[in-house]
Parts: sequence; structure tokens; C-alpha cells
Amino acid sequence: MSFILAALDAGPTAQSVLDTALRMGELTSTDVEVVHVTTGDNQPVKLRTDRAHVPLHLIRGPLEPALLSAVEAPEVVAAVLGTKAAAGDRRLLGTTATHIIERSTKPVVIVPPDFVCPGFFRRLLIPLEGTEASTQPVLEKLFPLLAADVELIVIHVFTESTVPAMLDHPWRDLEILGKEFLTRHLPNQEASIELRHGPAGNQVAEACDEHGADLIVLSWSQDSTAGRARVVRQILGSVKLPILLFPLATPR
Amino acid sequence: MTSSTPLPRRSLFRRRTVFSDETFDALVFDWDGTVVPDREADAQEARKRVEAVSDAGIHLFIVSGTNVKNVDGQLQARPCGRGHLFLCCNRGSEIFQVTGAGPQLLDRRTASVEEDEALDLAAAQTVDCLRERGLEARIVANRLNRRKIDIIPVPQWTDPKKADIGRLLDAVMARLAAVDMADLSEVIDLAACAARAVGLADPRITSDVKHVEIGLTDKSDSALWAADWLVQRGITGELVLIGGDELGPIGGARGSDSFMMVDALSRAPVISVGVEPSGVPEGVMHLGGGPARFAELLDVQLTRRADHRVPRIDRDPGWVLPLRPRLGQVRVAASLGCLGNGWAGTRGWLEEDDPDSTPLFLVSGVYDDQGRILPGPVWSGLDQPVRSRHRRAEHHRLLDLRTGTLVRGGPTGSDLRSMCLVSAAFPHAMALRVEGRAGRIEPGDPLRPPADDHGFTREEMSGVDLAVTSAGNARVVVAALQQRVTVSAGHDVVERLAAWAAPPAGVDGSQLAREYLEQAELLGFDGLLAEHRCAWAQMWEDAEVVIEGHHEDVAQDQLAARFAVFHLLTAAAPAGEAAVGARGLTGPAYEGHVFWDADVFVLPALAAIRPTSARAMLEYRIRRLPAARQLAEAQGFAGARFPWESAGDGRDVTPREVRGPRGTMIPIATGAHEEHIVADVAWAAAQYAAWTGDTAFLAGAGRGLVVDTARYWASRIRRDAERRGHLDQLMGPDEYHQLVDDNAYTNVMARWNLRRGAEVLTRTSGDPEEAETWRALADSLVDGWDPRRDLYEQFAGYFDLEPLLMNQIGPPPLAVDMVLGSNRVTGSQLIKQADVLMLYHLLPDEVVPDSLAESLAFYEPRTAHGSSLSPAISAALLARAGEPERALELFRLAARLDMDDLTGTTAGGLHLATMGGVWQALAYGFLGLRAHDDFLSIDPSLPEEWSALELRFRFHGRRIRVRAEHDAVIVRCDGSINVRVGDRDTEGCEDPGRTFTITGSTHSQEHR
Repeated sequence: MSFILAALDAGPTAQSVLDTALRMGELTSTDVEVVHVTTGDNQPVKLRTDRAHVPLHLIRGPLEPALLSAVEAPEVVAAVLGTKAAAGDRRLLGTTATHIIERSTKPVVIVPPDFVCPGFFRRLLIPLEGTEASTQPVLEKLFPLLAADVELIVIHVFTESTVPAMLDHPWRDLEILGKEFLTRHLPNQEASIELRHGPAGNQVAEACDEHGADLIVLSWSQDSTAGRARVVRQILGSVKLPILLFPLATPR
Repeated sequence: MTSSTPLPRRSLFRRRTVFSDETFDALVFDWDGTVVPDREADAQEARKRVEAVSDAGIHLFIVSGTNVKNVDGQLQARPCGRGHLFLCCNRGSEIFQVTGAGPQLLDRRTASVEEDEALDLAAAQTVDCLRERGLEARIVANRLNRRKIDIIPVPQWTDPKKADIGRLLDAVMARLAAVDMADLSEVIDLAACAARAVGLADPRITSDVKHVEIGLTDKSDSALWAADWLVQRGITGELVLIGGDELGPIGGARGSDSFMMVDALSRAPVISVGVEPSGVPEGVMHLGGGPARFAELLDVQLTRRADHRVPRIDRDPGWVLPLRPRLGQVRVAASLGCLGNGWAGTRGWLEEDDPDSTPLFLVSGVYDDQGRILPGPVWSGLDQPVRSRHRRAEHHRLLDLRTGTLVRGGPTGSDLRSMCLVSAAFPHAMALRVEGRAGRIEPGDPLRPPADDHGFTREEMSGVDLAVTSAGNARVVVAALQQRVTVSAGHDVVERLAAWAAPPAGVDGSQLAREYLEQAELLGFDGLLAEHRCAWAQMWEDAEVVIEGHHEDVAQDQLAARFAVFHLLTAAAPAGEAAVGARGLTGPAYEGHVFWDADVFVLPALAAIRPTSARAMLEYRIRRLPAARQLAEAQGFAGARFPWESAGDGRDVTPREVRGPRGTMIPIATGAHEEHIVADVAWAAAQYAAWTGDTAFLAGAGRGLVVDTARYWASRIRRDAERRGHLDQLMGPDEYHQLVDDNAYTNVMARWNLRRGAEVLTRTSGDPEEAETWRALADSLVDGWDPRRDLYEQFAGYFDLEPLLMNQIGPPPLAVDMVLGSNRVTGSQLIKQADVLMLYHLLPDEVVPDSLAESLAFYEPRTAHGSSLSPAISAALLARAGEPERALELFRLAARLDMDDLTGTTAGGLHLATMGGVWQALAYGFLGLRAHDDFLSIDPSLPEEWSALELRFRFHGRRIRVRAEHDAVIVRCDGSINVRVGDRDTEGCEDPGRTFTITGSTHSQEHR
């Protein structure tokens, strides 16, 4: 039996992580279970899981390996984690979240600490670079997961290589470019698209605000060192929404 | 031609021995030894086959050294089919066509008295030389245009049979060896020397082992005649099979049939059914088997025709564009592979593709009430299962530009082969033939709805499928017939004929469509294909582009140029009225709206390469003059104000605002303010008149296009206190700067329009006062020329803008409004496309002389080329300014714009204006052509990589071919014209033409 695995700690952000996991469960018609790496007092976590009527798995540390092992269990469809790094924090992610997303083969939702979870997820924002490598994980793993009606908004922020060479009539040509982008990268999927130009993080953040997005979907290389995954880092640093990360490659 | 003359180079073919997988449209073959064993053999079976092949539509050329009486007397065929039978007799000297009434002479090379005497002398001298060497030879006289020398005049070899060729050769070789002659090549060389010595400039020396002939012609003349006849019918290269029995060398002499291997047929497969004791030349397939094998070949061809197998194309890389879309780019390929005839167009989608590939069928000029072009029923779909995206990409197709067909053939063992056409000969007919392994074709419904349905309805009437799409009064009706043939060789074939009608309100389109379909059915697929190829051959006669050079990119330049011309030729019908949208009939983008793209970019090309289409484009404008007058009046002006975007009824269909990405409404200013289109239409009319010499047009049907537009400008101009004229608050071609005053392009075009209008008004007995007023207004109109800078200021205040250059932003082409934001760009000197520079291109006589170089130096670095219309214009101007290398870079950018999907929007349709610009860059830029009232000027400026550029076109009704090399200009014409080449004086040029030697740079000084 598959489930979404929420990793809760005893801190105050755990509720938003659990709520996000429950929304993900609704989105994917999947059960939700919780894992907590026990440090002694499990009551706060147990209270939350009892209230939400979701099973709780207590496991022993060390924290990061234990959590990773739990996430990698075959029944886990996706994991939901919190991070201690708020928007604007130079670290972008806490060490535990970083450890998991850099290694896990599963999709992982990172929930920012100041995120207030809505009652349901209606609108997903999907920034796409427009390369086959980055689109494939989204195409192959996201859409099979989705079970509920949800609006998909694709954002493509022009890069040096994709900025249009010519726009005879910008409004017409951008519409064609957008349709073509969707046809090539998300064939046979119902989605709308926005084409933008500027720093990717800023543009995605603006788009989130303008559209009232609930969740951002990204694929990434699992390499968050300096110089790599630039766009993902920009987005992580700019948005206040949960981000669903699909890994491109096998983890380290 | 001697034995030492090398054979033309041929490509190697790998074919199954009896060509079971190929359909030929013409056979060029030897008679004696190939079709019949010898000249006495019973030819009854051959006759039956020849007549059957003619019935099947295959053209036959029998090439023989003997006379027609011998050949026809033996064959006695009386074909009545679509395939023609020609007897090419007397070794290249005569051509007869054989019909039900017997042979009719079509062509004969007649020797002059001097030539006949020379032939006698040459033969006599050859015999003398041989005798001196100890070889007895005898002249066999009474052959047309040749003298036959018997080099073995002994009784036992009086009349040898073909089967005895081996023994005959031995005997001849022994005879030659006895006099210390190595082989027949020595005899041939002797004869050649003798012939040249008596003054024969191009003697043809051949041998059949027993004889050596000295002639004025040989079988190459027959083959060339055949090639020329066939190319006029769109039959070239791989569609032709050449066959003989003496292709290989024999006794040191070239096989007599090898002379049929001419350059003009270098791509044709060649087979030998003879013994060929010394082998065959490279590229010739030696089948052996004699006439029996040749009969087998004919039978295979007859079977393929009877089985309705998919025909082939000549896969000439100079004419064929492979469509191998990368994953996800099937819609781009569908645009590139669009087929059309000016009246209708079908996108080149894979027959079994899914809706994402945008199958689309459009009829020109059919718009709904909102002014959007109405898609018709899709007629070319099949019900094949959609493959995986990866597999789909393997099934490449080929667009044959020469014959306007789209063919498909995947890897060996793949499921489908197909050919599709939209008839160029019968405007309403279309056809598709598909073959695949038995049981694997699912044709499904022949008529399907387009995306978004468009009121699609279906019916069947007496076995004919009918479908209609409609919106308001607009309707497109398509009728289709489908038949399925199961072929004995394990293939199924589906053949679909379709016909469209776009009836006016109140007319039964279904009945019309059925009638058109019946006409198509009478011809059938093969008949339609034959007529279609013929029509395309005729079109290319007036539109061909040849670019030569050794650099590896030059072949691509030529292919891209032909691609552009191909789609120009299919953009506008040659009769009636032609609404040519920005993307033509190749895609849904821009809704079929007509912009200045049509008048300034497409029409000038068609005025030269298909004048009737240019006239139809003008007819579209003429019929919308009433709407243009209404628009002018509604805006408080006089005359005619053509709208920026036009559709069915001539109203302005430019959107006024669009919803932006953030949901805000963005106003669109082009409709209200981009007024230069008024003068563009007048200019197009004048261009048509200049190229066609139709001087009556501007005074007659086209008068309103020049006079009413002038009247508009007269009412539009504002006079200041100093009586200078101004045009305020409008938009020039550069749309980065939206509302400006005194845009130089618009003002100079308006000035020209006023003057031309005054001239026409005067010529047609219009109001002389009005004409005088227009001239005065024209003189008063500011044009932006700044004498301090020696530059035109693009608009008032342009020079005060931020002086940004493109090299500070990024290499063009680049949509800098996207990169910098429109506010920054508007405040800068960066421009979207040629604006001032357009004047040098369209009205070189209206601009300040010798100012092109400075204008290019100033404006080109500021040009983002953020419009697909731009690069080709700059290419043309750079060539004019003596910078052909820089011109070539921009030419290539424009020429490959759609082929490489440089804008990312080719999926929505092809950029027709770019294609028109490509032709203009070749014609006006690199060739330096200009049409004047009574002469054609030619002033080439070729880049180093091009050794030659040749264009065919029409000028004043004449068929013209201009070939420019770096040191010569060759003009061919079918009637008298006057030409001015470079700085030379105007000179006459009579049929067939002249060569003009040019030295150094011919570039006219006035454009430096």
C-alpha cells in the first residue's frame, strides 16, 4: 500500500508539513503516514498525527540516514519535509532537507517554515527550462501521480538560449511559442503556460503570487553546490510555497 | 565524341535487379538487342508491352541508330494511352512521335551542304588512312547525318546478328591486330582526326564493332531531347530508366548505348541486358538476359501501375527537403511540408498523427464573421495507431520542391509509404495514395473535423463522402472518394481523391465539390499526378533558382532558396483574387490576415515569377477599395485607407487590445496607427506594372490603388506655419517606437504615392488641380533627411534617443523588447527591423543619392532584426552597397528561418514575407535587378562562395534567365528586351540572349 511520507519533528513548523502532506495525499489520492526520528519526547508529534488520523512511525537515528532510509522505502510515493531555512536565508535549506533531497530517489516536497497551508491544492506552478532532461521527470512522474482536478500553470523563463530571436507580433508569437512549448514538453496534458524574462527566481515568485499557486513543481539535478542547480536555488530563495522536487539522476 | 571521352559521372545505385520497388515514369532504351533480339525478330510481344506501357501512362523513348521505317516497321505499335511513344532514330538525328495514326516527325537535324560534304570527305579520308595502314574498309553511304565505314567488309560478316557480337569482335580485333592497330579506339581516333581536319567542329564518332560512324549526332542527342521533353513534364532523374545492351566498352570503343548516359539524366538508373563482354561502366547495372529481361522489367512496371503502388520522386538533393523532425517538432515539419496551389493548402502532417500535430486544410479567402480563416475538413488522415513519439520521428518524409509532392517512406520494413498532392493543374483536386503491408493500413474516415470542429458536418451521397465546415456565411466543402486495393505482393494500397469547394452563400457547395471530384476521378491518381508534375514544371520554368559554388554551404543556400520560391508559388492563386495571409495557407497563425507582408514582400517576387498571382493579389486589394474608402471616411479623411490587418470583407480586423500574461489588457496600436500600408499597396501596384509592362493597369483596374491612396495622404498631411507637410502620430515598420511624428519611411512612401498618384491622375484625365495639389504636398512633405549627419532621421526626435547599439545587448536577431523591456527599448535607438533602410530597398530613386552606405553604417548596428521581415532586406541592401559577404550571412539567416525554426513559431505556419524577402535579396540584392519602364537593369554583387547565381523570371511578358558569374552576366530571353548591365549603356538583347563580360566590380557607383 503506497503512501505519502511526512517527516515531522517536534517543532512548530511540523503542522504545516503535516498539512502539506495531507494536501498531497488528496492531490494524489494516496494515504499519508508520518515518520519521526525519535529524540525522547514524541508526544507533540503523536498529538498531531492522532488529530489527523494518520499512522506514526517512530524510528531511531542518527537523523539523516534514518530519515533517508524511511523515505526510500518502496511504499513511499513521495516525501514531505520541512526546512528550517526561511526565504532569504543564505543556506536555502536546512541540513536535513538538503541531505534528503540530494540523495533520495523519490519526489520530495520541501515546506518552508512560514508556509500557511491552504484547505486544498488547486493550482500547481511548473517552472520548466525546456530541456528534455529536465522535463522528463515531471512528465513521467508528476502526471501519473495526480488524481484530483488541479490547474497546471507552466512557467518558462527565457534563458539566453531560449529567448526569442524574433517576435513579429509579440502577443501572437508568444502564444504560438507557448503552445509549442507545451506540445513539445508536456504533450497531451492540459496546462496553461506563461513565458517570462528575467531572473528565474523572481519571475517564479511573481508568478506564484499572481496566480495564487499552491505548490511549485521542479526537477533538479540533486547537486546544490555553488554553480549548480542555479534556477532551483533562485526559486528556493525567492518563494514561500512548498516545492515538489523530482530528481533527475540517481543520488550520490 | 571519341572513345576517349569520359562518361558522365554517375552515382552508384543499389537496387533490386528488376526494380520491383520503384515505379518509373519514363523509359529511354535501345531497340536492337534490348527490346528485340535483332532487326528481323518478331516484335509482336514487344508491341503489346509498348502499348500497355503507354496505357499505363509511362513515356517510352526508343533510341536507335537505324531509321524510323526499320523500327516502326518492326514494332508497329500504335499506342493510345497517356504515355507517349517516341522513336529517336538515325542515331540522334530524328525524333518521331508514334500515335494511333503512326509516326509523326517532330524534329530532325538537317545537315548543311557544307556539313554533308565534310562528312563525305571525313569518311573518305578515314578509309584512305586505314588503307595506308593495311586495313581495307568501305563507306556505307545514305545515312542521315553520318557516314558509316565498314571495317570488316567480308562476306561472312555481311549482316551479323547481335548474338554473334563476341565472335564478330574477335574477328575485328584480329583484323586490326594484323595491321598493328591495338583496338577500335585507334580507328575511332583516326576518324575523329579526319573529321576535325575537314572542319567538323563536333564530330560524333561511334562504333558497333563492325562499323565506325562519323556523324553530326549520336544517341546522346536523343537522350538530351528526351531529358528536355521530360523535364518540362516534371519527370527527371530517378523517375527515368535508361536501358541498353551495349553500354560497356567493346574493343576499346565506348558502347554505343553509353551515349544515352547524359548529364541531364545523370540520376537515372541505367541497366544493361546485353552480354557486355568487357563489363559495364561504373553506375550501370548489368542484368543480362537480353530482351527477355527487358520484357520482365516492363512487366514489373505494368504490375506496379496496375497495383496502384505509391509512385516515387526523384530524390535530387537539390530539390528535396527531408522532414525529419526532432522529437516534439512534428508541427514544424507539418508547416514545412505544406502543399498548396494558391487556392488551397494542406499541412504536411503524418497521416496518422494525433491532434497535437495540427492537421489543417485551408482555402484561401474563406473567413468567418470575425475575420478568421476558416479551416476546412481534414481529408488526409488515416486511422493508424499513434506510435510512440520516438518511433514516429523515424518516419521521415520528403518534400519534393520540383513536383510539389510530399512522400513518405520509412526504414526498410516500415509500415507506410505514401504520396500526397494538392493539384497545381486542377485547383480543386487533391490526392493521397498510401501503401503498407497487407492488413496494416487502417484508412478510417476520409474526412475528419479540424481542431475546434468549426461546425463540421458529415454526409455520404451515392458513395461519395462529403463534409462541411462552416461559420456564418463561410463554408468549405470537401468531397472524397476512397478505394482500397489489396496487392498480391503482400501490400495494401489505399487511394483517396478529394475535391473542395468554397461556395458563396446560396450555392450548393456539395454539388460543386462532387462535380470537381468526378473530374478528378476521370484522371485518377496517376493522371492527376502527371498533370500536377507538368504544371509544376511550367511554374519552375519561370521561377527557377540556381546557386553554384564549391563551398559546402552553397548547396544548402540553393535548397533554401528553392524552398522559399516553392512556398511563394503556392501562396497565391493565379486567377481571381488572392488573399495572402502572413502565414499563407501553411498554418493557423495570424488567422489568415493580410498585412503589408503581402504587398511589399510577397507580391514583388510573384510579379516576376508568377505575374498572374501578383495580379490576383492586387485584385484582392481592388475589391476592398470600397471598404478602404469607408475606413478613411470614418476617420475623417479622404481617399482609401487600407487597414493594417485585412481579411474577407476589407474591414480592419486588427485587434485593438489583447490580454497580457498578467491578465491586463494591452492596447495594440498597429491597427490605428501603422498607416504606411496605404502607400505599400500603391507601391505594390506600381511594382506589378513595372515588372509586367502592363502600362494599362495603373490607368485602368489598378487606378484606385494609386489615386485613392494618394488622396488619402493628401487629406492626412498637416501643414505647419512654414507650409511644410507632416504626418503625425503614426507607426513605421519599426514597431518598437509606436507613435511617432514624421516617420521617414511613411513620409517618403507617401511622397512617392502622391507623385505617382498625380501622374496617374493626369494620365487618366483626372482633375489637374488635384494633381497639382498632390505634387505640391509631396514637395512639402518633410522626409527626415538631416544634411548635417547625411542621414535620414527615422522619425522626429529619433537622434535624441539613447544611442544603444545591438553589440551592447546581444547578437541579432534578438527580440530586445523581451530582453530589455519595451520601455527601455522605446527610449533607445534600437529598432526592430529595417525602417529607413526599407526606403533604399523599395524606392532607391527617391532617396538621397549615394547615401546608402552611411545609412547602413548607422542603422544596421541598431537593428535587432527582431522581425522575420528584416534580415532579407538588410541582405539585399548590403549586397547593393558592395558588401556581399555580410549580405550572405543575413541571407542565410532569412533563408533558413523556417527550415531551422529560428523564431520558434514555424509550427504555426511559414513566414511568407521572409520568403518573399529571400527572393528579393537574390534578385534585387545579389543580382541587382531592377525593372524600369523600358529596360531591365542588372548589377550583380556576388559573395565569393557563390560562383554563379541564376534566376528565371518574367519581365514585360518575356521569359528571362539571368545568370551572373563573377566575370560575366548571361542573359537569356525569348524575345526582345533592353538591358543595362552594371555601368554599361542600355543595350538590346534578342532571343536567345547575350553574354556580357564584366571586369572588376560591376557594382553601380550610385549605390556606394
